[in-house]
Amino acid sequence: MTTVSIRLYAGLQGLIGARDISMELPPGATVGTLRERLGELYPAVLAFLPTLVCAVDEEYVPPEHVLRDGDHVALIPPVSGGCACS
Amino acid sequence: MFVITEQPLDPAPLVESVRRDESGAVALFYGMVRNENMGRAVRYLEYDAYPEMALKKMREVADEVRAKFDVTGVGVMHRTGRLEIGETSLLVAVSSAHRAASFEACHYAVDRIKQIVPVWKKEVWEDGEEWIEGHVPEIPGTASP
Repeated sequence: MTTVSIRLYAGLQGLIGARDISMELPPGATVGTLRERLGELYPAVLAFLPTLVCAVDEEYVPPEHVLRDGDHVALIPPVSGGCACS
Repeated sequence: MFVITEQPLDPAPLVESVRRDESGAVALFYGMVRNENMGRAVRYLEYDAYPEMALKKMREVADEVRAKFDVTGVGVMHRTGRLEIGETSLLVAVSSAHRAASFEACHYAVDRIKQIVPVWKKEVWEDGEEWIEGHVPEIPGTASP
């Protein structure tokens, strides 16, 4: 199994009710696999999935990125730093 | 200088960090907490961040700025946690030999920070609150800035 730890930010943390969760995935699982599993385990997240980007090793990665055992994955909702000055 | 902190932001060390003897100008941008957004009165803001990655992405923005503009230094500070109306959430400083480059580069840097740096703001109103969804960051290799 591939076990990854997942960190949640902003609204997702409140939605799932934790800053960190861990997930067991089949060997060879990709970020896309993780996203599907996330939606199954936490249906409240489904509405956020289309705009959610994952980061591994502090870099944004595409759905086809293969996860390794022990990876730390960050779930990144659309970013909104800085001022509300657009 | 690239900083993510819960403490109030002080522009003086940031300006000094970007100044070189070759610099003739420094453009300094303050992003501040405004008392309203989209017609709703804002009580305060709360910022969340992925600090390690935010610092990495700030440095990437600075690399882009140095590649596109004739600048002598770039620095960014972002505050997290609860910020009251009038407080500063973001400071961007850019130095250059001549002023046009610092103005343009500072504008570009602020835009890019809002697009790719993993920081989020929550607006708290009298009757509710909401995490603001801004920009979906591009994934390197799949789109070019």
